[in-house]
Amino acid sequence: MVDIRSLSVILENKIILEDINLKIDKGEIVAIVGPNGSGKTTLIKTILGFLKPSSGIVHINGKLPRDYIKDGKLGYLPQKSSFDAKFPVRALDVIMFGLVNKKGRKKDKEKVAREYIEYVGMGGFEEYPFGKLSGGQQQRIMIARALISRPDILLLDEPSTGVDVVAQENFYEFLKKINQENKITIVMVSHDVGVVANYVHKVAGLNRRLHFFGRPREFFQTKVLESLYGLDVNLLIHSPECVTCQHFMPDKLVEGVKH
Amino acid sequence: MILDIFTVDFLRNALVGGVILAIVLSVLSLFIYMKSWSFINIGISHAAFGGLAIGYLAGISPSLSGSIFAVIVGLIIGYLSRTNKLHEDLSIGILLSLSMALGVVLISFSNNYNSDLFAFLFGNILTITTEDIVLLGIFTLFTLVFFYMFFDKILYCCFDDELAKVSGINSELLYYSLLSTVAIATVLSIKLVGSILSSAMMILPAATASQIFWHYRKILISSLLISILTVVLGIVISFEFNLPSGSTIVIVYSLIFFILAITKRILRLDV
Repeated sequence: MVDIRSLSVILENKIILEDINLKIDKGEIVAIVGPNGSGKTTLIKTILGFLKPSSGIVHINGKLPRDYIKDGKLGYLPQKSSFDAKFPVRALDVIMFGLVNKKGRKKDKEKVAREYIEYVGMGGFEEYPFGKLSGGQQQRIMIARALISRPDILLLDEPSTGVDVVAQENFYEFLKKINQENKITIVMVSHDVGVVANYVHKVAGLNRRLHFFGRPREFFQTKVLESLYGLDVNLLIHSPECVTCQHFMPDKLVEGVKH
Repeated sequence: MILDIFTVDFLRNALVGGVILAIVLSVLSLFIYMKSWSFINIGISHAAFGGLAIGYLAGISPSLSGSIFAVIVGLIIGYLSRTNKLHEDLSIGILLSLSMALGVVLISFSNNYNSDLFAFLFGNILTITTEDIVLLGIFTLFTLVFFYMFFDKILYCCFDDELAKVSGINSELLYYSLLSTVAIATVLSIKLVGSILSSAMMILPAATASQIFWHYRKILISSLLISILTVVLGIVISFEFNLPSGSTIVIVYSLIFFILAITKRILRLDV
């Protein structure tokens, strides 16, 4: 699905990504994690074709990102959308943006958009000003906008930013559901590995270089975490069964301690 | 008395030209409002002065030289701000001052230095000729066709450029097309109504309509109506009381804006 080979990205004479090799299969949910400034967003933007690799290559289904985008089979949810909170559109208009490049009558597009707003659990908010929705509600509308074009792959950059913990977990559950129902490949950037680990098939640990790529369980090993984040890492793990949260040291996690 | 307006050629031209201008500029004003481009518009309108001056001095059509100059300046401002090479305000500030200064220097060679400068700032809607109306009509037709064809895509780009790009839209082409349309509209309107009224007609309609409506469709329709009403009212009032038409129109625009802004506060409209 996504094939990244020997990818390096240099921006303003600074190496942001170095020799990244990554292969994401169809239907997988992959979280790209790493400390601040580790190049997570740069990697997503390179997969999207917004940034050109300094060396190496990115292919999505055998095509270069710029060619793949033209097929309209790629969905994207930005980190912090650049739209103005007072932008004068309804929630339904935002979902319909996902169909702007598709042929068809506006009436039919609106009908489909109404189905998708129900699908993301936002029925009743069709006519609501988008800017007045909460962070979690906006996120669901944006997901509906991305899904309505029936993408093969969904890229999300820090989807949990500005969303409370409950909305976050609901959102990840929802991602899992759409992955299972639609077989969509999902690649998301997150700084909160403790949360996403419960919902993804694989984790990519990034800090300029790719330090780890594998199952979430294997990710929580002292040497992986130390190599990625440096020494003295404290990790807060959330799980669906979590009643009270505690700080865990990585070595305890190796033993599989969970709460 | 009011009916006299329709029997006098130059007043009839002013009304027809003014209404056509009101239509095209209020449509553009929606996008200027959504993109927060009011400063870009003012930058382009001042930059156009350099281009108009070149035309006056070289003996070629000021509209043509002004349009070319304004489009170039508009595209430079757009490129600099889009690529983050220079802060938008800074790039506009520099280009605005440079073009304005260049225009003043060039116009100073003209014998009618003061009147040319005054005409640039305030124009004279009463001097609109039939040829101006034809040119304006053609431009308005092209602009409306452009928006009819690409309205949803441009709206999407204004909402979020990167998202639009991922959806397969050529957002760069639309961005620069929109900027060029704003630049040409600015030059054409400057010649007819002056730089100050041109900016007012491109900024105030949507800004005024957004005081009472929050959805783009309602903003568009009401800004069209507000703009047409303002131009007609402005011309009629200026004719009745022997006032400068351009300035009267700006005052009417501003009054409507303030009345709606105050009404919004009093009625506590959640817009």
